Amino acid sequence: MSGLVAGLLLLAALSGLLVVLARDPRRQVFAMAGNGLVLGLLFLALQAPDVALSEIAVGTAVTPLLFLAALAAIAMDRAKGRTEGRAKGRTADPAKDQAEDRAVDHAK
Amino acid sequence: MTLLPWLVAAWLFAVGLYGLVTSRHYVHLVGCLTVCQSATYVLLLGIGYVHEAGPPVFYDHPPGTPAVDPVVQALVLTDIVVGAAVTALLLAIAIQVQRRRGTLDPQALRPLRPPPSAAE
Amino acid sequence: MTPRWRLLLLALALAALLPAVLRVALAMPEFGAPTAVLGQSVNALVPELRHVANMVAAVNFDLRGFDTLGEECMLLCAVTGATVLLRGARGERGDVRAGHLPGRPVIPRADATVLVCRVAATLTLLFGISVALHGMTTPGGGFQGGVIAASGLLLLYLGEGYAGWRTLVPSPVLAAMEGSGAVLFVLCAGLPLIAGHPALTNGLPLGEWKDLYSGGLMIAVNAAVALSVTGSFGLLLVEFLEETREPADAPASNEADHEDGTMRART
Repeated sequence: MSGLVAGLLLLAALSGLLVVLARDPRRQVFAMAGNGLVLGLLFLALQAPDVALSEIAVGTAVTPLLFLAALAAIAMDRAKGRTEGRAKGRTADPAKDQAEDRAVDHAK
Repeated sequence: MTLLPWLVAAWLFAVGLYGLVTSRHYVHLVGCLTVCQSATYVLLLGIGYVHEAGPPVFYDHPPGTPAVDPVVQALVLTDIVVGAAVTALLLAIAIQVQRRRGTLDPQALRPLRPPPSAAE
Repeated sequence: MTPRWRLLLLALALAALLPAVLRVALAMPEFGAPTAVLGQSVNALVPELRHVANMVAAVNFDLRGFDTLGEECMLLCAVTGATVLLRGARGERGDVRAGHLPGRPVIPRADATVLVCRVAATLTLLFGISVALHGMTTPGGGFQGGVIAASGLLLLYLGEGYAGWRTLVPSPVLAAMEGSGAVLFVLCAGLPLIAGHPALTNGLPLGEWKDLYSGGLMIAVNAAVALSVTGSFGLLLVEFLEETREPADAPASNEADHEDGTMRART
């Protein structure tokens, strides 16, 4: 096994770990983009140019954008919930929402 | 040393599972699921790899030169694209969960508990 | 179940599985010396049988074409499901403005960004089409080309802003691309059945090796996949970005916001 493949494999293991450990979803998006790039390069080193092309396009561009758009929609909904109060039965307690935001940072 | 690809695949899957179990945010959970998925890509492409062989595209080098396994590459290729679409479906569900329940913590989302508005 | 118990359960499961994983890893064929015969036979036989240079495309669109048909259906279902979930809850509304989080500054786009995105989007779209067209000869094909073209659409959004992007990329066209791609794939699989052959039988002339036209029916399947993937990822992008908008008559908005709703998206 060449050193390049071994190094990229280790890098893929490390970046996968970082994706999991980035508890804030907004930070996780960037970890995911990095993971996609590392995986794309790994597939290139494993002589799979077809797979690398689609992994780089999907993993570094399309999926992170979908995550960012979903997070933006969720943040907008939370902001709306805070201003609208308890209408429609949502949990509109700003302290709770912020605590939830913080919980993702602190949860192990 | 030759075990490294298989161990990396197992590691990615285990790490993804750990993330799934401890996740406190649905979107983060979907991200961990993609890590689990990438374990299968590493495993499949590792199985198909051949030493000193080129890609299975016979444009520059004639057919007959050693090349890596194209079948696993085809499997991974379709799965990456379809997996991204499935991830998008999960994210759409996450947005709807936030709209209806006002939270994305899997711990607070008990499936059989009616939303607070229905209880009133 | 509390997170602590779940973690304990996972630790137990992993501890129980660890010996099995190690045993399988030790029993695997050595890395770089595969024992799978199918792939090497494909490499040896298919260039002459199908006159194509890219073995991955040959496996995808011909040898395991039926499998790809299933994947295509999954793609269609996933995208339809996501679209229905988002659009069904949101409703068909035309009049929208950029959603805004209180306390987050709105930074206007620089001219340089617009210029770079216009150039890069054009090049990316062209690259995607080229990758899709050369699927039979060089690395590429419908899946990769479609995804690259979709990321070109994304660059177009970054450069043109939401309103301009929506006029350039109408979502009915994307939906039609996706559906027609799926229908074309099903036709490619089904028409040989009517003639009494197995599904996806390659009845067209195979063409020249290394030529743009090579592979016969694979060209049509490749085009179907390219159309479908571009359409579905474009549709997903449209639907998700539509989620970050809010209705122009939202209670939080004031009249000034209402007036320049579309302008703000552009600047």
